[in-house]
Amino acid sequence: MVRHDVVVVGAGLAGMRAAIEASRYGADVGVVSKLHPTRSHSGAAEGGINAALGNAGEDDPQKHTFFTVKGSDYLGDQDAIAVMCEEGPGDIYELEHMGAIFSRTDDGRIAQRPFGAGGAPRTCYAADITGHVLLHVLYEQLVKSGVTVYEEWFALDLVTDGERCVGVTAWDLVRGGVQGVEASAVIMATGGLGRMYRGTTNAYACTGDGMSMAWRAGVPLKDMEFMQFHPTTLKSNGVLITEGARGEGGYLRNSEGDRFMFNYAPNAGELASRDVVSRSEQTEIDEGRGVDGCVLLDLTHLGAKRINERLHGSRELAMDYAGVDPIEEPIPVRPGSHYHMGGIDTDVWGHTLMPGLYAAGECACVSVHGANRLGGNSLLETVVFGRRTGAAAAQDVRRNGSGGVFSPSAAAIAERSIGRMLDKNDGERPHVLRQELADAMYDNAGIFRSAEGLEACKAKVEELRERYDRGVVVQDKGRDFNTDLIQAIELGSMLEMADCLVTGAIARTESRGAHSRLDYPERDDEAWLRHTLAFYDEGQVRLDYRPVTITEYEPAVRSY
Amino acid sequence: MKSSYAYYPGCLASLSQKELDTSTRAIADKLGMTLVDIPCSTWCGAGDVHEARPEYYLHLNARILGQAEQLGQDTLMTICNVCTLNLRQANAKLQADPELLQRVNRNLKEVGAASYSGGVDVRHLLWEIAEGDGYEKLKQIAEKPLTGIKIAPFYGCQILRPSRLLGFEDPDRPQSLERIIEACGAQPVDYPSKIKCCGFPIVLARAEVALGELIQPLAEAKEAGADAMVTPCPLCHLSLDAWQGKASREADMEFDLPIFHLAQLVGAAAGLSYDELQFKRHVVKAYPVTDKIYQGV
Amino acid sequence: MQVTLKIERYNPESDESRQETFSVDVVEEATLLDVLDVIKDEVDGSLTYRKSCRMAVCGSCGMRMDGDAVLACKTPMRPLVEAGEVPVISPMGNLPVLKDLVVDMEPFWAKFRAIKPYLDDGGEEPPVKEWRVQQEELDRVMTEALCIQCGCCVSECNSMEADPDFLGPAALAKAARFVNDVRDRGGKSRLEIYNGPHGVWDCTRCYFCNQRCPKGVHPRDAIAKVGAAIYQEGMHSDGGARHAKVFVKSTHQTGYLLETHLVPETVGPVNAIKEIPFALRLARAGKVPNPLKPHKAKKLDEVRKLHKLIESQEQATLEAANAGPTRPPADPAQAKESE
Repeated sequence: MVRHDVVVVGAGLAGMRAAIEASRYGADVGVVSKLHPTRSHSGAAEGGINAALGNAGEDDPQKHTFFTVKGSDYLGDQDAIAVMCEEGPGDIYELEHMGAIFSRTDDGRIAQRPFGAGGAPRTCYAADITGHVLLHVLYEQLVKSGVTVYEEWFALDLVTDGERCVGVTAWDLVRGGVQGVEASAVIMATGGLGRMYRGTTNAYACTGDGMSMAWRAGVPLKDMEFMQFHPTTLKSNGVLITEGARGEGGYLRNSEGDRFMFNYAPNAGELASRDVVSRSEQTEIDEGRGVDGCVLLDLTHLGAKRINERLHGSRELAMDYAGVDPIEEPIPVRPGSHYHMGGIDTDVWGHTLMPGLYAAGECACVSVHGANRLGGNSLLETVVFGRRTGAAAAQDVRRNGSGGVFSPSAAAIAERSIGRMLDKNDGERPHVLRQELADAMYDNAGIFRSAEGLEACKAKVEELRERYDRGVVVQDKGRDFNTDLIQAIELGSMLEMADCLVTGAIARTESRGAHSRLDYPERDDEAWLRHTLAFYDEGQVRLDYRPVTITEYEPAVRSY
Repeated sequence: MKSSYAYYPGCLASLSQKELDTSTRAIADKLGMTLVDIPCSTWCGAGDVHEARPEYYLHLNARILGQAEQLGQDTLMTICNVCTLNLRQANAKLQADPELLQRVNRNLKEVGAASYSGGVDVRHLLWEIAEGDGYEKLKQIAEKPLTGIKIAPFYGCQILRPSRLLGFEDPDRPQSLERIIEACGAQPVDYPSKIKCCGFPIVLARAEVALGELIQPLAEAKEAGADAMVTPCPLCHLSLDAWQGKASREADMEFDLPIFHLAQLVGAAAGLSYDELQFKRHVVKAYPVTDKIYQGV
Repeated sequence: MQVTLKIERYNPESDESRQETFSVDVVEEATLLDVLDVIKDEVDGSLTYRKSCRMAVCGSCGMRMDGDAVLACKTPMRPLVEAGEVPVISPMGNLPVLKDLVVDMEPFWAKFRAIKPYLDDGGEEPPVKEWRVQQEELDRVMTEALCIQCGCCVSECNSMEADPDFLGPAALAKAARFVNDVRDRGGKSRLEIYNGPHGVWDCTRCYFCNQRCPKGVHPRDAIAKVGAAIYQEGMHSDGGARHAKVFVKSTHQTGYLLETHLVPETVGPVNAIKEIPFALRLARAGKVPNPLKPHKAKKLDEVRKLHKLIESQEQATLEAANAGPTRPPADPAQAKESE
């Protein structure tokens, strides 16, 4: 049993930024992470982080706000977006002062390049390994802060006392056994859930565990149906090739060699919004103008020098996982699930509807991305809202102190549940269900959706949940470093989150942002300019809705 | 194999490891290699100058390469792992960066030294006789095969790694020494640490650590039944030979392993005598094995 | 294609080690990590290893293949299958084994923490905006910044095998990242951390780390950069630095190595006396050169002039590097206000 003022679950960019900030405010902070912090998926981000610094030309946060609002297909909460865009520059400068190695302009300022649908070059970058650079600089600061990190502890459930969150239970992966982690404030920063899809850019660890914990404890999840598909992923294993490749001037070509994007986005071309590009690519592929199920990302005209300087990481990935040297040949790419706009419902300070529970980063939904996220805004979200949430949690604890009692039986209950999982010997192996889920989601809840497909998907998810509840077989019966157990638990998270996603998708009879319905191809602001809320209702998904906060920008037609 | 080389013995072969230079010249003769001395060269600076004063190291080695070029040679032959890496690394840097080469040449000119245009390749003797016509020539001259002698090859580090600078053979599973041992009629003995470090770079500043490293190849070669060891590097030779006593005490094991320079192994198989190859300059006496070779004992 | 692997397994609960052979069917593009996943899913769920990103950026899946550390996710299996090889997969070296292919990384992270792994701003108030830094200045740390802390370098470090307390290539590469960051004000006190008994002078220069690094960090080169910084700051307390000093001085004194000076200068006079029996053994074999008649290069004046010339050029570079980062010019709007 351990105790801290603030416990952060998840140690990616958002989690670490929150922990550092809470610590600065004088809170005693503990971080619980199922991975060592620098293994977090934030490190895979490549292209950059947006902020209206004005280093590549005139810019201001209002412009950034507008393009983000537009990019969200008007589902983003405009007050939250304005906060993110206004505070962004300060956070970037702070990262630089911490030592982040941003690429520079000729006069030594932070360089910025264009990114999809940004409208202006606003994306700060560190070659094409921005996520890696930021992840490591925050880990350095985390080490400096002296905050306790419980590495390779897998958080299982929220522990509540009445309406309040008073901590979590966690499985110590290294030594085995459930630990109670008591806290006056818990910040969920557990990232996304791309692994529920076949063909994803996400790491194996992205299984939506934190969202699942919050949901099961009664906290609503917002806009779950919005899953972004990144246009340029590799066929062999879904690995991401950064949008920065197009930002540096790369082209997308079909089997006929045409830069087809100009048929879909006459102005922005390859740099249209991600949902637009993904849909365009899928259409080209479906209509027979693909190459082996892909389109071609052509960087050959950029030249070896530019590629080696700015896109060195992408080149390595293309050579390792697609067998192609982008200096010589185009890279075959196709859309893959990438970023989840939805998540735990929060306000602009990371508060959820449950006192004592906060959330930040990809697992949260403020909402700053609405129905579709702009490239470069996710990294920004993690630091801005990571910071704000850490500050809010620490200040709330100082003001209110601890709010409840951590039940002494919470850990024992979790132990028994794990014991039951380990005892099961006959039944299905988790990977069977995992594969069926991934196929169903990609086929029916992917880029193009329809009532028929979604209903079939829902039925499949319900069937899988039933099969899972009957018990899957964990072959590793040991308590030491049991990754077989962890993978089985993660599957449970994914099944629950898939249910929330698909249920929301069925209900939303319009197309907006990344949610594209073949049977409802138009955006319907009258009926659907609202956030979906998914509640836990005795294991089932119950939907409700909430209006979108509109301040400056009335919803308009979104074209590129 | 080239008909002539700019010959770069390095510092140890000119000093405490003189037998290596003597043996090399003797077998070059047999192999039909013309070795052209580089009269005004310096040593390569070894790892310490390379690390502590990288600019100085770069210029020293550029000067050596320039001198080789001046002699009309397009290949410089080394007989030491450290020289090989040092010269090849400097060469690679200079050949890849014309601006750098210009700057270095400006400095060389200013002090009255010859400049370098980047036209020399650096090769270790080992590479010249491990394959191709060099290997054929080796087989030809090995008239006195070292039958029944078990030799454990010790590669050391800087003839293999980093392979992008050396690149002669697979750095994880090299075979050049084994081939040469076989060509000389002896039996190569395999053991895991043949590509690990002898510890020489830190044998003075970190004696305990170095001995911890050195014990491994000696013990493993001994346990694998080797009569002797062979190495292409005079620094490794100094470790394995001159420090063998210390390693033996540290490990509480008798090694009694004579250490051959590569050139001595070839020389013995080519019929050169104990004195011609200056075996008496070894700290661990070679005669338990050389007696077998020369007297068939 | 069918892949066969031999895996060195270890069960901590029974304290049992054994080698197990697995054969599974995988796709042509499969990496070693993909093969392990298939084995774990379909054959034996207790096979344990770390993984996350599968794209060589998180550093989780370091392990040995035939004794050499690799990233499992970056190791294609097809070439091995085509060559008919059956590799032996084992955990990384130089770290305690927890279970199967999982090592205890805590000693690794402890060394990371020990090198002061964060920017030292010297307590100076940063500018409102970013420090002005040239791209070329940041390029000096970009190579070390590529490090994903996977441990492949540490796994094969020969020095660490002999001295488990050696800070090691990963920690020292991280150190280099700060030593050469123009914004870091750590100066000599930072360098002192790397100058201790288990610091840079422990490195045996085996280059295994450079060879094994999957990200092109070149840790050995990074260690050399830290060593150079220590040396050039005149911090010559360690035998390793004094050893280097003899090497450098020998160069312009003789153009070769003054072997006889090496022992007393490196280990100090007292220890040198203890080495006299050893030296005598070497002398008997003729291995001790005449200290009164050192081997000298010809045209030594060129070398001496070269040394002086380079020293003055290096001095300029060192001063520029120590000057620290540049503040942005004063905001003209602010200047106007104050007028």
